[in-house]
Amino acid sequence: MAVARFTKMAYAKADDMVFGKAVKPVKAGLGLEIGAGYTTPEVNYAPRPEAGASKEKLVKEYERITTDIMARMVQIGAPSVVLETEHVQQMSNHPDWGAAVAHAQKTIMEDYHDEYGIKCALRHTIGDIRENRDFLQLRGDKYSVFLEAFEECAKSGADLLSVESMGGKEVFDYAILRNDMAGVLYGIGVLGSMDMEMIWSDIAAIAKKTGTVAAGDTDCAQANTAMFIAGGLLDKNLAHTLAIIARAISAPRSLVAYEAGAVGPGKDCGYENTIVKAIAGVPITQEGKTSTCAHSDLMGNLVMQCCDLWSNESVEYHGEFGGTTVQCWSETLAYDCALMNVALESGNEKVLRDMFVASDINRDPQGYVLAYPNAYRVGQAIVKDGNDIYLRAKNAALECIKIVEEGAKDKLALSRFEATALANAKAAFEALTDDKEKFMSDCLDKYKKEVKVFLPENYGL
Amino acid sequence: MIQIDPSKILVRYNVKMEKQMTPEEAAEELYPKDKLVYPIAKAIFEGEEDDVVEGLEKAIGSGKDPISLIDDALMVGMGVVTRLYDEGVIFLPNVMMSADAMLEGIEFIKKKAGKAPTVKGKVVCHVAEGDVHDIGKNIVAALLRANGYDVVDLGRDVPVDEVIASVEKENPLMLTGTALMTTTMYAFKEVNDKLLEKGYRIPFACGGGAVNQDFVSQYELGVYGEEAADAPKMADFIKEHGDNIVKLREKFHKH
Repeated sequence: MAVARFTKMAYAKADDMVFGKAVKPVKAGLGLEIGAGYTTPEVNYAPRPEAGASKEKLVKEYERITTDIMARMVQIGAPSVVLETEHVQQMSNHPDWGAAVAHAQKTIMEDYHDEYGIKCALRHTIGDIRENRDFLQLRGDKYSVFLEAFEECAKSGADLLSVESMGGKEVFDYAILRNDMAGVLYGIGVLGSMDMEMIWSDIAAIAKKTGTVAAGDTDCAQANTAMFIAGGLLDKNLAHTLAIIARAISAPRSLVAYEAGAVGPGKDCGYENTIVKAIAGVPITQEGKTSTCAHSDLMGNLVMQCCDLWSNESVEYHGEFGGTTVQCWSETLAYDCALMNVALESGNEKVLRDMFVASDINRDPQGYVLAYPNAYRVGQAIVKDGNDIYLRAKNAALECIKIVEEGAKDKLALSRFEATALANAKAAFEALTDDKEKFMSDCLDKYKKEVKVFLPENYGL
Repeated sequence: MIQIDPSKILVRYNVKMEKQMTPEEAAEELYPKDKLVYPIAKAIFEGEEDDVVEGLEKAIGSGKDPISLIDDALMVGMGVVTRLYDEGVIFLPNVMMSADAMLEGIEFIKKKAGKAPTVKGKVVCHVAEGDVHDIGKNIVAALLRANGYDVVDLGRDVPVDEVIASVEKENPLMLTGTALMTTTMYAFKEVNDKLLEKGYRIPFACGGGAVNQDFVSQYELGVYGEEAADAPKMADFIKEHGDNIVKLREKFHKH
């Protein structure tokens, strides 16, 4: 498959990166341009559990959600909004369900756009349904249903096409619970990248055919799993220094979408997106303090630093004192965007960006590495060997470790446990070969034996 | 970049509160002193499978009863691990690696003794129908096994009827269910209703992703577990105090 690997940075220097502006803005939906000088809220939601009982119930639920959001945006004078529908499994397993929801949502959005002129776009994030009960089934029968779900949604009203793909997850899940850094690198950096190349070549072709936007992926299945297991400061499930290494490795993996034809905006929960933006110049969605309805993180302000769309990750649709959840969260997002847009209009964007960063850079190693000057350095390490998916992932890990070590000598306090985990990880990465083929062959043997659910044929191996 | 003193805006409680003792020092204080048992317990703590087997071979060679080594050596080593995990001295991956090593040790003993050891009790684990996210269930199963329970792991995306059939067949002291998504966790209610229909009143411990205490409290057998590490504690509680759901909720519902 023809992919154009990134071997240089989109930005000449880290300081050029700000929120609301991307080197390569993206036009989408109804009058919207993403990364073109303003930020936009991207509202994400989940239907109530009982809504999945039938196609009709589900469509009705999404109609209520869409109307609620559009109405609130108009009520508070928000100039633009993106809606993200993350498919529940029924919508991707039955592409006609997803298509019906997309059509219903887009019809409502068009009405609001026609009446009020509000700029808007609809993202559909297809569920990665490529699995059966026992194994990932990345290339089997389900792959055609998976692609059909993209195409049907695109034809029915979705403007932005995304997915949170799961390639490499079976090895990653095993490795991360055992501090196995080679396994993390193999799962995310190699297997994940290989699968990304296959699916994004196909998704980009669908976007081209349907006149929609191939928007991008996120390493939710792996790097976010690490972040969630790592948890808060007092949680004892995974060293945060290891979670950020997994995150750094996820950047070259998520980058593959843009090498295969995607153009952004990358998806909200891809905390690796600042690194991706530095390399690819694509607009990105991010989430932080506004996604506390879905999960906690340790960089709620910092992660706004370079966002183009600002998201709430996901919230179940139900009532709150201030309206429905989607109304409350869309309003919060819109006011955050208004503040960023004021900064952009008044030339204060770098000041605000740096305040976001200063809020969280020393809160945790994860935020420290993702702070834009450091994220940029990880990007440089990736493009240095941009043509080799193994080496660039290894480079990302090693640069990440170096950055945390430097931080620890400055204002980033590490617990002894985190420091030890970092040192052990460093030794593990330094001991790895530079030869991709040898690494691949060693890992194939090892994980075929150790991970019962790992099927090499999923990756054409 | 803006440079400020971070201590003015945040507190790194994990650094501030970190125990003075290293994990190795803390473990050393807890190992049994018996010279044949000590290396086995230490190998469990270190997650070194080969060393566990080597230690067991030596102990058996010196006349120790293989089956008794499960309680007297493997479980003692695992006890050190779980205690230090509960105290926040070591992290989950250490527990997982120790659990792997312990299971390897148990398999070795089974072969040597030619019979299966007695277990503390049986727990059936599953991931909700429609849900394939199983890392949480895998952690739960590993922690239960590490604490001496026999786990019947039904895997992921398990149909409701299969869960019920397994409870009927295995007669476990507890059932666990995990789910990541709001749309799949509804299967827990169905499991609950079918269990009640058939007259089973076993605790049904639920947790994971979007699952919350309010949801789990809606069905009669539900007990919410916020952490995977709650699962063995619930099983221990049931063994000690019986399977009264109200009491379990009083103990484990935190919100």
